Amino acid sequence: MLVEVDNLTKTFGEFRAVDNVSFAIERGEIIGMLGPNGAGKTTTIHMILGLITPTSGRISIFGKSIATHRGEILEQMNFTSPYVAFPFRLTVLENLMVFARIYNLKKPRARIDEQLERFGITKLRDKAIARLSSGENTRVGLCKAFMNDPQLLLLDEPTAYLDPEIAWQVKNALLDAQREKGTTILYTSHNMDEVERMCNRIIFLHHGKVIAAGSPIEITQAILEEEREEPALEEVFLRLVKGKAA
Amino acid sequence: MKIYRINAVIVRHLYESRRNFDRVTDMLWWPVLDIIMWGFFTVYLSHSNRLQPTVVSCLLGAVILWGTFYGFQRDMAVGFIDELWYRNLINLFSTPLTLSEYMAGLITVCLLKVMVGLLAASAIAWAAYSFDIVPWLPKIIPYMANLLFFALALGIAITGLIFRYTTKIQALAWSFAGLLMPASCVMYPMSSLPKWLRAIAWMLPTAHSFEGMRQVLAGRGFSPMHFWWGAGLNVVYFALAIAFFGWISEQARSRGLLVRQE
Repeated sequence: MLVEVDNLTKTFGEFRAVDNVSFAIERGEIIGMLGPNGAGKTTTIHMILGLITPTSGRISIFGKSIATHRGEILEQMNFTSPYVAFPFRLTVLENLMVFARIYNLKKPRARIDEQLERFGITKLRDKAIARLSSGENTRVGLCKAFMNDPQLLLLDEPTAYLDPEIAWQVKNALLDAQREKGTTILYTSHNMDEVERMCNRIIFLHHGKVIAAGSPIEITQAILEEEREEPALEEVFLRLVKGKAA
Repeated sequence: MKIYRINAVIVRHLYESRRNFDRVTDMLWWPVLDIIMWGFFTVYLSHSNRLQPTVVSCLLGAVILWGTFYGFQRDMAVGFIDELWYRNLINLFSTPLTLSEYMAGLITVCLLKVMVGLLAASAIAWAAYSFDIVPWLPKIIPYMANLLFFALALGIAITGLIFRYTTKIQALAWSFAGLLMPASCVMYPMSSLPKWLRAIAWMLPTAHSFEGMRQVLAGRGFSPMHFWWGAGLNVVYFALAIAFFGWISEQARSRGLLVRQE
């Protein structure tokens, strides 16, 4: 297993943001983490990144504990979210150069150009971040996420601000990375069609707990309790959230 | 600690200094403006026959040294606040970069920036007011080092506080050194303070540095007593600042402070 999460719990005072969550991810898988706002998806991702210490539980990545091997593990993984930002006075190139140096890349300029081309933003290289649209910013984040050729990618709603055409390009880039390099991806999104298309397996979180896990079709059939030929995650989502809320 | 990651932080803040006019203002504007204003004041004072000639040198030396101390402490805190303003902390700390590497990079950049301000202020003092600090440097540098060391300890402690309480207390970055200024005896000797405030001044490395600097500029030679008092206090304050920052960084991960977006 590439990632093993065992009985992970995080409380902030009285509030239990993540409640006894366990799951595992195999090398090369694309896992979708779904759930309504406040379900604990982002907190779980932050704990996997070592940004938040769990109240209890264990996270092991590449067979090592994130608590004791944080630096070593983070060399081989990366993260992006449209909700974090870059210093907006710096250009795209300057921002990416900082990260290229953090990862000690041998040919940083070539690597940056490669990523800019992959996400179709070569022409933005010398523009200040402040002058970019939300979607362009999201793509800069994706360039950063691919900078160190990560074995494990954590993506928090990576297509949130993208128009359908760009979102399609990004999804293809992610699928290519998985096919060509065996990149493992943990993916959160509110777009159910996208998750159905992208993910081998899904983990549903609600109120910090895993309430369902499996392949899109397995989850559809199990939760809707009927035979279906195609996954219907939107229906599943509404059923689970409404059911649990009731 | 990896040097290349410290370099990345240095590069990040040098890019910022190049692109952000506020940072250029911090680096050059205030040191230059202070020396011009106080320079004219010393010109006015020098016309008074009752003044000892060393008073002018002491005032200008004090302005230059205080600017160095204040600039270093402020730039450290503001450098970190920049990351909060930009919501860049998650990006930075979801990489292998550690907090100590980040701080080491930030300290290096602040040192470079403060040296630029120091050079600019010294050049103006020399060109416009005939105050040449260079011959005094061999005897003043130990006091300057103490000032910078104290600014470093303060900068680390204030950055830790901002880490914990975020931008809600960002005003500390600019104002905390001002709180220490009256007891630091920047412009006047320690003997002019009331007795109760003198006791506080003795506990401040800044007061010992300025007292020592005045002795040097008055031609009374280097005061080992003020240097060692300052250095000893600095060791204590630096150890406390590091322990505080270490505790705050533990808290940061436990309370989720690194992912705060404010």
